[in-house]
Amino acid sequence: METLFIDFFQNTGFFLCDYRNIIMILVGMLFIYLGIAKDYEPLLLVPIGFGMLMGNIPVFKGLGLGIYEDNSVLHYLYLGVTQGVYPPLIFLGIGAMTDFSTLLARPILMLLGAAAQAGIFITFLGALALGFTPHEAASIGIIGGADGPTAIFLTAKLAPTLIGPIAVAAYSYMALVPVIQPPIMRLLTSRKERLIRMEEPREVTKREKILFPIIAFLLCCFLAPAALPLLGMLCFGNLLKEAVVTERLAVAARTSIIDSVTILLGVTVGASTQGDVFLTTKSVGIFFLGALSFCIATACGLLFAKFLNLFLKSKINPLLGAAGVSAVPDSARVVQVVGQREDPTNFLLMHAMAPNISGVIGSAIAAGVLWSFMS
Amino acid sequence: MYGLESIAANNGWAISVVGVSIVFSGLVLLSLSISRIHKVLDLWDNRNDIRIFCKKPQERSEPALLPFTEKKKASARQFRLLVKTMDDPFSLHRLLHLAEISGLERPHSSLCHLIKAGIIEPDHQGDYFFNREAFDRYAS
Repeated sequence: METLFIDFFQNTGFFLCDYRNIIMILVGMLFIYLGIAKDYEPLLLVPIGFGMLMGNIPVFKGLGLGIYEDNSVLHYLYLGVTQGVYPPLIFLGIGAMTDFSTLLARPILMLLGAAAQAGIFITFLGALALGFTPHEAASIGIIGGADGPTAIFLTAKLAPTLIGPIAVAAYSYMALVPVIQPPIMRLLTSRKERLIRMEEPREVTKREKILFPIIAFLLCCFLAPAALPLLGMLCFGNLLKEAVVTERLAVAARTSIIDSVTILLGVTVGASTQGDVFLTTKSVGIFFLGALSFCIATACGLLFAKFLNLFLKSKINPLLGAAGVSAVPDSARVVQVVGQREDPTNFLLMHAMAPNISGVIGSAIAAGVLWSFMS
Repeated sequence: MYGLESIAANNGWAISVVGVSIVFSGLVLLSLSISRIHKVLDLWDNRNDIRIFCKKPQERSEPALLPFTEKKKASARQFRLLVKTMDDPFSLHRLLHLAEISGLERPHSSLCHLIKAGIIEPDHQGDYFFNREAFDRYAS
C-alpha cells in the first residue's frame, strides 16, 4: 500500500514540477489577468493564458497527455498550428469583418502600411546578426508585422520549433500596443503634426468594394504567390462580406469560424509554451528582437508619413503611420487616442483603419516573400 | 557566426532590400490600381458618351443620280404609259412582255436602268410598283 501511494505521488504534478513550469504558470496567470482586468486583447490573451496553464501541468511522459507527445489530444489540435491551417481561417474571418472603404477612398494611406513592413526586414537583419539561422531570423522578423496569424503561419513553415515563443511574443506585443506605441508616436512627431486634421474621405460605391478583394488578391498573389493562403482567404472573406448575396457565409466566417479557430489557436499556442521547451536563451532573444521589431515598424510608419507630407498638398497626420503595423484594430485605436489627447475633436480612427488594413496585406506579402526566399 | 559577418554570409542584405522592395512595390501597385477603380467604373457607366464605344449611325446611302439621256427619259415615259395600263403592283415579266410587243427599243436594258434609278421598285412580295417621285426626279 505504501508503495502504491509513493508511486502515485511520484506521478503527480507536485512531484514532477520544475521551476520553469511554475514560471510559465505565473506568466499564464498574468496573461489571463491582463486580458480580463486590463482588457488587453482578451480574446487572445485569455485562451493563450489558459493554454499556458494547460501546457505547464507537469505530466508523466508516455501517457499521451503533453502537446509534444504524438498521440495526445492537444497534439492533434496543435496540428492546425504546425500545419498552418488556423492562420488562413483567421484571415478568412478578418476579411469578412473588415471594411476597406477608407482604404479605397484614400489609397495613398496604403503606403504607410508598406513602410511599416520595413521593421520586419530590419529585425531580420538584427536576428541574423545575433546568430539566429536565416529561417529563425525570418520568423522573428515577422513579429514586427504585429500580425499573430501571419507570424504563426510563417514560423510553422520555417522554424516550427519556435512557434511557442514567437506566437506568445507576437500576441503579447499586439496586446501591448497601447503601451508600446504612444511613447514612440510622441517622440517622433511634433504637437503641430499631431493636430493635423484629415480630409473627409469620398464616398465609396458598392461595386468598388466588391472589385477590391478580387483586384487585390490577383495583384498581390501574382507578385508574391507564397502569400496565397493568407491573402486568398482574407480577400475571399471580404468578397463574401461585400457581395451581400453570400451574407450567411460571411456571418459564419466572422463569427463561428473565427471564434472557434481563435479558441483552438490560443489554447494550443499557450499549451506549446512548456517550461522546459519555452524557457531558453533563444526565447529571451526572440522577445527582445520582437519588441525591437515592433518599435522599428511603428517608427518606420511614422517617419514615412512625415516624408510623404513633404510632397502632399493635403497633409497626412503622421500618427496614422503608427497604424501601419497590422494589429487590427488596436493600433488604429491607439492613433485615435493619441490624436484626441491633443485635440478631442479630431477623429482619426476611420482614417487610421486604412494603413492598418494595408499593414495586414503588407505583412502577408512580406511573409510570402520570406517564405519563398527561404524555401 | 555573429554580426555583419553573419548577415553577409546568409545573404541578409540582399534578402532585406529585395523583400522590402517587393512589399513596397506590391502595395504601391495596389494603391495605384484601386485609386483608378472609381474612374474606370465611371467610364464604364458613361460608355455611350465615349466616341470609341459609340456605334456609328449607318448613313443611308442615297442612290446616286444616274445619268438620264433624252433617249432614256423618253423610254421611261413610255414605260410609264405601259404601267398605267396595268394593276399596281404589277408583274415585271408582264411589263417586259408589253414593252416587247409595243416595240420599245432595248426593253431589257431600259427596264434595268429604271430599276437601278428606283423608278420601278420591288414590293418585296414578287411584284413591282412605279415610283412617281423618282420618275419626276429623273425623267420629267
